[in-house]
Amino acid sequence: MAAPAELFCWEGDWGLPSVSTDCLVVLAYAQFAGAPLKLRRTSSPWRSPSGCLPALRTEQRETLSRPADIIIHLRKQKYNADFDLSAKEGADSLAFISLMEEKLVPALIYAFWIEPKNYVDVTRRWYAEHMPFPLNFFMPGRMQRQQLEKLRLLRGDETLEAGDELEKELFRDAAECMNLLSQRLGSHKFFFGDSPSSLDAYVFGHLAPVLKSRLPNSKLQQHLKTLDNLSGFCCNILLLYFPRDGRDASSQKTAPQPDGGADFDHVPHKRRKQFLSALVALGAMLSYALLTGMVSIQHVQQGALEDEPAHLQPLGEHEDEGDG
Amino acid sequence: MSLAAEAFVSQMAAAEPWPENATLYQPLKEDQILLSDCASSLAVQAYLRMCGLPVQVVCRANAEYMSPSGKIPFIHVGNQVVSELGPIVQFTRAKGHSLSDGLDDVQRAEMKAYMELVNNMLLTAELYIQWCDDATAAEISRPRYGSPYSWPLGSILAYQKKWEVRRKMNAIGWGGKSLEQVYEDVSQCCQALSQRLGTQPYFFNKQPTELDALVFGHLFTILTTRLTSSELAERIKSFSNLLSFCRRIEQTYFEDRSS
Repeated sequence: MAAPAELFCWEGDWGLPSVSTDCLVVLAYAQFAGAPLKLRRTSSPWRSPSGCLPALRTEQRETLSRPADIIIHLRKQKYNADFDLSAKEGADSLAFISLMEEKLVPALIYAFWIEPKNYVDVTRRWYAEHMPFPLNFFMPGRMQRQQLEKLRLLRGDETLEAGDELEKELFRDAAECMNLLSQRLGSHKFFFGDSPSSLDAYVFGHLAPVLKSRLPNSKLQQHLKTLDNLSGFCCNILLLYFPRDGRDASSQKTAPQPDGGADFDHVPHKRRKQFLSALVALGAMLSYALLTGMVSIQHVQQGALEDEPAHLQPLGEHEDEGDG
Repeated sequence: MSLAAEAFVSQMAAAEPWPENATLYQPLKEDQILLSDCASSLAVQAYLRMCGLPVQVVCRANAEYMSPSGKIPFIHVGNQVVSELGPIVQFTRAKGHSLSDGLDDVQRAEMKAYMELVNNMLLTAELYIQWCDDATAAEISRPRYGSPYSWPLGSILAYQKKWEVRRKMNAIGWGGKSLEQVYEDVSQCCQALSQRLGTQPYFFNKQPTELDALVFGHLFTILTTRLTSSELAERIKSFSNLLSFCRRIEQTYFEDRSS
């Protein structure tokens, strides 16, 4: 092994190791399987070798981006969390993962990206605050358009917009999916036996953001909290496999709330932003000066050593000609 | 269908019994229908036959545009129109016909999960092969899809459909897959179904459920449809219990009626 595999993920928040569902799935699977990955948490998709997150750069310098591909790659490297599953349990995992992709994913897209209040107050704000300078202006909007496009294609409706009816329909499907998962989990600690498998990683990745985020429209969260075994399952995995992030959250929880009003004072990369804005202002002033006849002064300065008035006059005439 | 309308429909449905003149609409069977639509249509027909509900199959060139959700097939019962298997199952349940009442909670959860597995992998793979494999799209899908319309319109509609499906594939992360990977996914899906079925006659023992109808619809259509390459059917043929499962349903629900 030349260099260890590197995993690029979105930064964590809300007491989660990462805010993105796909990243959480991969992180959880890697933890379950004990894969030694060099974790790079970033808040800029441009830092990742594939331009999107999550991304795994393997020992052979290949780049994988889909969670399913990453899990297959880890499995080939003998980091297999599904080793103990019987063939039927493997089939069940595949079926429940499909169930989540069909029923839960559209509702998650809606809750985090399409629902206007959630998007403006939480999702866009989070990404805009965490991304570095030029990206934070256009990336959140671009990500939202991609998600909207995805939801439209999934639903087969070209003109789909946020609305009560769509929300009810999506959340009803999602609630049903959570109920089915809860029934399947029963009173067990994990879905199959005593150790977590890839299905546990998928369920955790999809439900933990719902449970931990603080969205203004939190219908999904309210429903999830009524399913004790499922919300307990997520907290349990957080405690067992991501103890550090859980502790970070509790220490952070006390920090941001008192200075909630002074949020505007806290700007990441403050120095760089100040420097850049000064640079932009200077550039604007200079170009304005160059465009509005200040060029002539340079000519004057060239000839200034010889005879100033003699040179100024023809220049003045020149300007008159230009005006006329 | 909106939720209010759905609630209304299920109330109305409970009041009226299943009429004799129920109709199922699908595209023209000989020249137009494509693999994925044919599979969905057969799944609904199998489901209704399992419930013992008579339905007359009608082929219309514009079935896709008649359907309330734009998807095939849809049924016209009394004065209601319902499309796709999921809503149709709910609709028949409201009328008192259900195949899955005997299941417990965990079994019902598993049944729903496996139905989504079929939709998520088999149906997506069918769409991929139809529209994203260039040979199949050019030789089969585009000419058949546009066949009822005259020259420029037929190709325009076919290309529109093709782009729509390709955009969808990109959105769900299938855009970068090769044909070989898609076949591999189909094998994986069939492997899971085969494991689940085991030696039982139906997925949940003696009684067929909507899952059996859905699996039968897709597998039987893939096995009996000729494409540019027979690879897809070959992948299914390696699972003998799925083959005998298809034969069993065909004999029980389709042959005795036609004879």
